[in-house]
Amino acid sequence: MPLVTEAPPKVRPPTPPMTQDHPQSPATGSAVPAAIPAIQVKDVDFCYGDNRVLKDVSLDVPTHEVVAFIGPSGCGKTTLLRCFNRMNDLVPGAEITKGSIVIEGVNIADKAVDPVQLRRHVGMVFQKYNPFPRSIYDNVAYGPRTLGERRKSTLDEVVEKSLRRAALWDEVKDRLDDIATGLSGGQQQRLCIARTMAVDPEIILMDEPCSALDPIATGHVEDLILSLREHYTIVIVTHNMQQATRVSDRTAFFYLGEMVEFDSTRKIFENPAHKRTLDYISGRFG
Amino acid sequence: MHSDTPHILREFDLAFESLRNEVIAMASQARLNLERAMQGLLERDIERCRAVVADDDEVDDAELRIDRIGMETLVRFHPVASDLRLVITSMKVASNLERISDHAVNIAKRARKMIARPECPEVTFIEPLYALADQQVRDALSAYTDRNADLGASLQLRDKDLDKMHKRLIATFTSRLEEGGEKAEDFLHLVFVARSLERIGDLAVNIGEDAVFLDSARDIRHEKPVVPPDEGRGAST
Repeated sequence: MPLVTEAPPKVRPPTPPMTQDHPQSPATGSAVPAAIPAIQVKDVDFCYGDNRVLKDVSLDVPTHEVVAFIGPSGCGKTTLLRCFNRMNDLVPGAEITKGSIVIEGVNIADKAVDPVQLRRHVGMVFQKYNPFPRSIYDNVAYGPRTLGERRKSTLDEVVEKSLRRAALWDEVKDRLDDIATGLSGGQQQRLCIARTMAVDPEIILMDEPCSALDPIATGHVEDLILSLREHYTIVIVTHNMQQATRVSDRTAFFYLGEMVEFDSTRKIFENPAHKRTLDYISGRFG
Repeated sequence: MHSDTPHILREFDLAFESLRNEVIAMASQARLNLERAMQGLLERDIERCRAVVADDDEVDDAELRIDRIGMETLVRFHPVASDLRLVITSMKVASNLERISDHAVNIAKRARKMIARPECPEVTFIEPLYALADQQVRDALSAYTDRNADLGASLQLRDKDLDKMHKRLIATFTSRLEEGGEKAEDFLHLVFVARSLERIGDLAVNIGEDAVFLDSARDIRHEKPVVPPDEGRGAST
């Protein structure tokens, strides 16, 4: 389904499924719904041409939890994160060669899945904050407008709700028409998070979202991540292990394309099961 | 699980080595104080008793140093997992060692008072309790330095034997105390010495529990010790 329609509807439609043959949730109709993971990764191999950068990776990202991916540079954590919204499609020769990644019952590795629709369900926040050189309001309203929303009252509502969730509303409510790039770095990153949330995704991916921020701005973003857990499933790639301990419920450690260990963050940082994990988190990789 | 792989920061390994060495040195001093206090008591050696009281300051200073190194290590390196457990347990072990040394001082002070009085042959009754308490302390420290969770956990159960022996001794000394006479004051001192040794056993158990946490990340404090099946049957018959 194309993201931009030629004749935008007056009322913003609900987020459509990623494919027309969207299967029923296994829990539908059962008395006690089973907890279905937001993302189910099973036996995934990913290659850049002949270079196999993910090897047999399997993990379940539980709904409404924050999962941190940690590991040394080149271990495959960002590659896996970018698989979740098919960002790797833009890289020539890059593809999932084995396994499946299931989100909302759909194997998103399937070429039939429209990556544009997928990205409405799976938003992404990048390492370097990247607001458009437009007003604060326009940045947040961009997604809904692109989806066809034209009503001012609805857009106002979405902008306020998104900025509130991003803990930015009180700081910018009186200057929504100011240019976004005039905000501080931390505010710009939170604005990018608000922009991501404005299209109602279920999952938010964050690729080192605080690496360009000072400690105070980092603190604001970390507080925000914790508050967003109520509404979204969040996967965050970080090199800052203290950050992983502060914000995540679970942590996956990657090394050389393999997922070495995936467990509760407390377990990983207090008593990991694998020596490679211990050596990495305690700074013994040499 | 812990790792012997060198840290990428040499300063990290130096800080941890320094922490470990300080705890080992403090443990040696605390044990020496206990040994000298008991020798002073049993051999009526006033100089040893004085040395214990004088050297207690070294143990106090060691506790402060260990706490300072521990705090610095936490602030500078943000250790995790087994490294974090090592810092936390080292600071707790230091606290327990300081209290063991305090009890050694208490024993030495009681010994000084007894030495000033006519010899009391019943002082030897205390020797088995000391042997048991000292063994507990040695095993607790071995469990900590060797990261031996099994040895550390065994101290909980063995402390029951020490407690039983302590109770028997207290009953003996108390009955003698109630009889009155010239030796009543000596038996009062021995009650306090026995009490200190029993407390030293408890502190050794604390160190053993810390050793379990250090080695296996299990917190066994306030858990009931598991009685081996054979001993359990024996106790019920």
